[in-house]
Amino acid sequence: MTDPIQPPAQIVVDRVTHMYRPPRGKPVLALDDISLTVQNREFVALLGPSGCGKSTLLYLIGGFLPIEKGAIISDGQKVTGPGPDRGIVFQHFALFPWKTVKHNVLYGMERQSLPKAEREKRAMDFIELVGLHGFEDSYPSQLSGGMRQRCAIARTLAFDPKILLMDEPFGALDAQTRGLMQRELLAIWQRSPMTVLFVTHDVQEAVYLADRVAVMSARPGRIKTIVDTKFDKNDPDIFKNKFFVDKVDEIWNLIREEAIKAQGKRT
Amino acid sequence: MQSMPPNASTGEPLNGLPEKAARLAVNLMRAFARVFSILVLLAAWQWLSQSGTFTPYQLPSFTAVVGRIWDDATTGDLAINAGLTLYRALAGFAICAVLGIAIGMAMSRSVIANWFFDPIISVGFPMPKIAFLPVIILWLGVYDTAKITMIVFDGIFPVIAATVIGIQGVEKELIWSARNMGASKYEVLRHVVLPAASPQIITGLQVALPLSLIVTVVAEMLMGGYGLGGAMMQAAHFANSTSVFAGIVEIAVIGYVLIKAMALVRRRLLVWHPEANAPATA
Repeated sequence: MTDPIQPPAQIVVDRVTHMYRPPRGKPVLALDDISLTVQNREFVALLGPSGCGKSTLLYLIGGFLPIEKGAIISDGQKVTGPGPDRGIVFQHFALFPWKTVKHNVLYGMERQSLPKAEREKRAMDFIELVGLHGFEDSYPSQLSGGMRQRCAIARTLAFDPKILLMDEPFGALDAQTRGLMQRELLAIWQRSPMTVLFVTHDVQEAVYLADRVAVMSARPGRIKTIVDTKFDKNDPDIFKNKFFVDKVDEIWNLIREEAIKAQGKRT
Repeated sequence: MQSMPPNASTGEPLNGLPEKAARLAVNLMRAFARVFSILVLLAAWQWLSQSGTFTPYQLPSFTAVVGRIWDDATTGDLAINAGLTLYRALAGFAICAVLGIAIGMAMSRSVIANWFFDPIISVGFPMPKIAFLPVIILWLGVYDTAKITMIVFDGIFPVIAATVIGIQGVEKELIWSARNMGASKYEVLRHVVLPAASPQIITGLQVALPLSLIVTVVAEMLMGGYGLGGAMMQAAHFANSTSVFAGIVEIAVIGYVLIKAMALVRRRLLVWHPEANAPATA
């Protein structure tokens, strides 16, 4: 039996156009008429060559940049600024380096109406969840890149956002750590699914993690195609799985010409 | 082989005591190495003053100067003069710190403040502020107000510049993170911008502190009155070279203590910073 009433989509991007205005020089069209819908508890990857504006789109949804044309609806409400309903994880972690792991994780909750004891317990739970037990009192500068990103994920999950925005969160990590973190993120998401919009330029990562992959074109960024990548991700041999390999191949073919275009435009 | 003590082959001590003693010896050696060049300088001074090349008037011996400092300490003159110099330097420094950080923050937050202050800083920073001394004397006299004004005038520029540069360098992702977690604009400033800029701001304060002491002594020398600079000029008028040299040593010691204290404050405030794990230089 399926639920007769479909819950409303959590993110609706409606014909958003964005100009990038560098401090010097002419404005550049970064996003051109983007429309995208992310369903409740769906994991969507935004994939595209560097410079295609995929991070910009994420920042617009996060409310960090002004929306000049079009609209973004998050959980039924028009996005006008940042808010804790949309948690974001950045590529370079953006941890507060002067706060310990525990105080980083506590910061978001301190702005919510949670009793102190409960905040502390919740912080420890999330530190435990991301495998940082024993490092509560360490400063970010004392942690490895992977551990810093674990801390950043714990910090964002701890204030209980409905939507998780991830901006190439594993892009700064080495290959082994990246693989490990992908598996753990998937495990966390499978245990308690939430709406995730995940920006990446790694095709395998996108296919492995996401239910759907939105492929973007080179600048100006447009959504080129949306590829369905929903299948059993728990297969231990997933990377040799026929379906997985075919999907990666399909998307790679879509993105290849865009990547070449992006390279050509730069020179 | 089996009859040998367990650690004999590795050369490790069997109990903690020799290890502790060794560490103490190493620490003493390090402390000695740190002041070695100063000791060489003092020894050279003492030797030179007794070699007959100079008269005691030209170059009093180090021991005679230490004796004079001791005499000044017992009569209470040292406490008054050093206390006044230290008070002026620290009061001036405190005003530099508060006002400098405030102006720097205002310049970073407001286009109007930046538009107003930026040209003043550009002209004022490289200018020798001592040129204003006659005007300051004309307007404010020769007492503490005038002296402290001179100190603030000189020491505030590095603090403003460091604050502006520090705030400019704060990553926007840090600010966005805080905004994402529901921080207000004021909370972003207090919880994110200031701590993130604090390494640079503290560097600015570390420049301003010795500058404050330097200007204090110069102002005291030129305006007279109590204080180490004034006392040195007084001694010079009476051809009392031992007291002049005593003043130099006293100022050197005060400067050294101030700089060390500031470095300690920095280490305390920036325990989180990667530099805390690096060997200290100051």
